[in-house]
Amino acid sequence: MLLKYPIVYQIRRNPVKFFTPILGLIFLWVFLIQDKSTKKPNSPYSYKSKVFGKKNDWIPRNLPADHISHYDLNKLASTPMAAYNKERVLILTPMAKFHQGYWDNLLSLTYPRSLIELGFIFPRTQEGDEALKNLERQVKKIQNPKNKIEERFAKVVILRQEHESLKSQNEKDRHAFKVQKERRSQMATARNSLLFTTIGPYTSWVLWLDSDIVETPPTLIQDLASHDKPVIAANCFQRYTDDNNSPAIRPYDFNNWIESDEGLRIASTLGDDDIIVEGYSEIATYRPLMGHFYDENGDPKTEMPLDGVGGTCLMVKADVHRDGAMFPNFPFYHLIETEGFAKMAKRLGYDVFGLPNYLVYHYNE
Amino acid sequence: MVYTATDLFSNSSFGIGSFFHSHLGLYYPTFDPDSTYETNYYDLKDFVGRPNGWQYNERVIFCVPLRDAAPHLPMFFGHMKNMTYPHNLIDLAFLVSDSSDDTMGVLVSHLEEIQNDPDPEFHFGQIEIYEKDFGQAIGQGFSDRHGFAAQGSRRKLMARARNWLSSVAIKPYHSWVYWRDVDVETIPTTILEDLMHHDKDVIVPNVWRPLPDWLGNQQPYDLNSWQESDGGLQLASTLDEDAVIVEGYVEYATWRPHLAYLRDPYGDPETEMVLDGIGGVSILSKAKVFKSGAHFPAFSFEKHAETEAFGKMCKRMKYSVIGLPHYVIWHIYEPSNDDLKHMEWMAQEEVRLQKEEVIYSVYRKIFDEGFENVEDDWKSEKPRILRNTDSSKLGRIVNVDWSDADIMDQRSINKKILKDKLSELEEKSDTKKKEPLLE
Repeated sequence: MLLKYPIVYQIRRNPVKFFTPILGLIFLWVFLIQDKSTKKPNSPYSYKSKVFGKKNDWIPRNLPADHISHYDLNKLASTPMAAYNKERVLILTPMAKFHQGYWDNLLSLTYPRSLIELGFIFPRTQEGDEALKNLERQVKKIQNPKNKIEERFAKVVILRQEHESLKSQNEKDRHAFKVQKERRSQMATARNSLLFTTIGPYTSWVLWLDSDIVETPPTLIQDLASHDKPVIAANCFQRYTDDNNSPAIRPYDFNNWIESDEGLRIASTLGDDDIIVEGYSEIATYRPLMGHFYDENGDPKTEMPLDGVGGTCLMVKADVHRDGAMFPNFPFYHLIETEGFAKMAKRLGYDVFGLPNYLVYHYNE
Repeated sequence: MVYTATDLFSNSSFGIGSFFHSHLGLYYPTFDPDSTYETNYYDLKDFVGRPNGWQYNERVIFCVPLRDAAPHLPMFFGHMKNMTYPHNLIDLAFLVSDSSDDTMGVLVSHLEEIQNDPDPEFHFGQIEIYEKDFGQAIGQGFSDRHGFAAQGSRRKLMARARNWLSSVAIKPYHSWVYWRDVDVETIPTTILEDLMHHDKDVIVPNVWRPLPDWLGNQQPYDLNSWQESDGGLQLASTLDEDAVIVEGYVEYATWRPHLAYLRDPYGDPETEMVLDGIGGVSILSKAKVFKSGAHFPAFSFEKHAETEAFGKMCKRMKYSVIGLPHYVIWHIYEPSNDDLKHMEWMAQEEVRLQKEEVIYSVYRKIFDEGFENVEDDWKSEKPRILRNTDSSKLGRIVNVDWSDADIMDQRSINKKILKDKLSELEEKSDTKKKEPLLE
């Protein structure tokens, strides 16, 4: 029936004659009109967007009209009177598991929330997903714009780490000596990713608080800041029930230590890529551990100089991190992660301290 | 500054595109700014950096450390304006430190000019200016900065400045970090794309500088980009913990292959070279390098500091560090102290010649006035007065007989000289001995 139309007949008889101009037009459009927007003079590259849908140029909101903002970092300070001087504290937590105890303790801190920024980083695992969902629920409650300003935190940044994580994270595997190096190297990368994307021009203090710290004094931030030390670690203990079924406490974090001659001797025998990790019978360093210096009747303000620190509850002046002190994910003087951080801070000329009688408590698995 | 996951999805810049390959199976929370105050979620895997990042709206944080840089800024912003990488994807971060000139004023006026350009294509993304003084013990003259003794502490200070800048400037959503000195004279407008498409973790171009003709036209500038050598490692093992090896000084001979010297002006600009230490004039790196903790050590790291140690640290963290020997950018020429002395001498010489010319012109005038020039007369009179003056036309052969010439023995001459000297000394000592007696 279509054949009756002369135009269809024409196409059938000589399709080239008919389709050439149409192809020509398409060709023109693709190579001339289209190309104008995807080519630039003086550049051999194509600028055609490979992002489907609407373009997002990621210009942040709430910027000044000309996008220029100005910060005077000379005015930034970290003083013993942190709260009085309205100094911003960044609390950073790598989180693989969400403990309600951690969150409740965080909310019980008396430091003004309008001066606290939170940063979290999650592993790319199902476990991380669960923790993230729990945290999301809690954050949405607290950060509701209808809440009073004293109830909300100044800022919350939640990150998913870039690298795939080691699969197994149960207590036994987690502490096996062989996987320690790999695990702590990944942990160091996660800590650095969190730190260097959240530390801002306002940050005066960085508090590293592990997600399994479920009990601290409510004045934790003020107490740690009052010592006015570049790096200071609280003593991390754990509550448990002893053989007599009565509550007791025991030291938990063994990464807070003073270097020993034996430790140095062992280090001198190791290859460049070997590390020493504390708390394993495989390597007996005889380093004095802060966990063993706890004195029930001692002054909680007692300080002791340290050479290695753990990250469970660690207060750092932001300048130390800005100067470059990070968590090495490679053997740095045979140390890795938080212990390597202490060494790096010392190489940068900062002193590292611990508070043997100032306790914070780890969740008991 | 509020980004939300809803932005991600609705605008689908990272959302839909990357959703399929990286978020698959992973939970992705959404924080609506209207119901959740100042809360943001980012998946860092969305910002790892692709070789054609500009086509994926990947953001670059452009870091520029500034100190007494006012004179260089107009040239710098000339380059900035012409950059072909989409400006809206470039965030700028400046650190102004220890400046005695009006670096800040000049910087702000240039930024305002470019941000208020009628053509929105010129506008950059977020611009942050930071001020921080570190205290500057060392001057900023070329020889102050490049003298050997100053290098260690100077570079540690520079490293601190760089770390302060990168730590506050890098945001979770940055995919690339570009470090650039302001005193670059000539640079391709496609510099970011040119470096980015190599898809390396850290990459630097070759840096040369033009020279005045009397110094040989051109010269390698950045000697901090090198490959480690056995000589370098051996030297490092002999130095103490806090020592800093600085490349390009005779005091530390490391015999390392330098990126700068391997340049072939006709070579393929795509050629790559694996490096261990790098210079800081123009570094493009994936943001994950800095996010994961690599920085410019402000202490002696494997016997190096600042950018060279940054290269070493990146290698330690298993990142690729690459230089492009035949792809060159040009640093400005700043004369060294010796160059300045030579230029001063050249200037003095010119003045001296001018003065001499003035004096001679006076002399000539006096001569012209006081004496009659009879040179032409003498030319015509000379043949009439003197005869046989052109000996070549006489055809006379002169033979000199040298056979009985005295060839003196050098030893006897020396002996004679020695004798004379000794007698002279004797005479002198005689007179000296006599002097006290006269008193």
